[in-house]
Amino acid sequence: MIIENFKHKMAAHCESGTITSLLNHAGMQISEPLVFGISSGLFFGYFHKMKTFPFPTFIVRNKPGQMRINITKRLGTKFNESSFRKNDEGARKLDDLLQHNIPTAAQVDFFYLDYVPSWERVHINVHFMVVIGKEGSNYIVSDSYFPEPVTLKSSSLDNSRFAGGSMSPKGFIFHVADIPSSVNYKAAIIKGIKNVCFNMLRIPVPFLGVKGIRLFAKKIIEWPNFARDTEHLSHEIMKINILLEDQGTGGAGFRFIYATFLQEAAEILSKPELSGLSRQLMEIGDGWRELSLFAARIGKNRDLGPEKLKQLSGLIQNRAEVEEKFFTELNDVIKRV
Amino acid sequence: MKEIEGIANCPEQQVILYVEKEDGKFGPIQTGSYLSANYLDDYFYKRKNLELSLRKRVINGEISLVYYYMVLVDLSISELASRAGISRSIVKKHFEPKHFGKCSVEGLRKYAKVFNVPIANLLQIVLINMDDHLESLFILENKTRNISIEQNSTNNPYLSVSKIEERGK
Repeated sequence: MIIENFKHKMAAHCESGTITSLLNHAGMQISEPLVFGISSGLFFGYFHKMKTFPFPTFIVRNKPGQMRINITKRLGTKFNESSFRKNDEGARKLDDLLQHNIPTAAQVDFFYLDYVPSWERVHINVHFMVVIGKEGSNYIVSDSYFPEPVTLKSSSLDNSRFAGGSMSPKGFIFHVADIPSSVNYKAAIIKGIKNVCFNMLRIPVPFLGVKGIRLFAKKIIEWPNFARDTEHLSHEIMKINILLEDQGTGGAGFRFIYATFLQEAAEILSKPELSGLSRQLMEIGDGWRELSLFAARIGKNRDLGPEKLKQLSGLIQNRAEVEEKFFTELNDVIKRV
Repeated sequence: MKEIEGIANCPEQQVILYVEKEDGKFGPIQTGSYLSANYLDDYFYKRKNLELSLRKRVINGEISLVYYYMVLVDLSISELASRAGISRSIVKKHFEPKHFGKCSVEGLRKYAKVFNVPIANLLQIVLINMDDHLESLFILENKTRNISIEQNSTNNPYLSVSKIEERGK
């Protein structure tokens, strides 16, 4: 069986895409940029030494799962959520929901999804997708990174829902329980923007927000010390491009989707200044993209000497400067609304 | 970013990018991954070299296949330990062939699940003769131009079945 009236749609990001699809299915017409912006998805964090990661890395979005929590608080939507200690209980609950025609989002480890090309498959426990049907021993999945719904073996889904490690999904699933009859979008947008400005400018942690971008710029020069050899360093430097462009960001580490959100917000709040800021952020995003293409190029050419890394560091440092200015201005504008 | 700048040709990996459309509005386009369209050959080149260097070390008795797979699937020691449910210190010991011998079959099953390979592949490297060199089955993703190899798990947690078939038949 398959939930016939569920409309599969590609999205920039798995979590905002999944939430958008579920809300749209439940009758709430809302765009992915609005979901992303209201839930304060934009973020930056740099992790130089963390046991979870084999190499220094960074993130460009808020904590996985936080988007759903923020949307619930700010839009008044309700989700039914379940986690499981036993795999078979998790499978039974999912099958039961599908039997009742309820599209159900699942948190999974990306590594076991056999429909994903091999070069994309990595162990990361925070991918979200919507399960929309089951045929024999295969599930039908609406994964927002794919143009059409895909099929997934039940054993693969089981492995991915119950993978261990950091942020283990523990079979986590959720579905829409209720949507409000009316929503105060203005208040939700203002809260979402204020939260992002706080996270980027004032969060008191030295590796998060704009401070995190500065730390990234400073520390990337030390990356050769962590690499096995030049090819390893090349791989990690090219991963900057993957994290900013390819891993479900909508381009430029979510800056483009956030610019789109600000354009929508300008209309809803009748605040033309936000429209100007959205253009500014699009340009800032172009700078991130330039940086990520530079990383891909020097990685491919194995041109990874100290001078090139310094140049890359300079490009990152420059993003910190422009983003500090941008979010300060955005914060001032939103405070006056 | 203007719409035209976001276009890349890669049918295997499609992405959504948010761009500036002709009317000045920002919105999504579906396009190919720029990196995969332009740099995928380099990814596979590096991956093959990495596998070959690790394979040599396994064959020389310097490392076990636990270490080999951990590096190939890009996991940290802590993350592997946490995923397998084996302590970090024991995992580190299992990297050395002399201690790997003390790993139980149940331990192998746990590692195999994390790496998504049959248990048997923690005790062997399957190589395929490709024109002028031997290539690992793991890197080839179980297929060549002429054959495909399916390694399926069974209801018996300690048994997998390998089926080798000529492709196109």
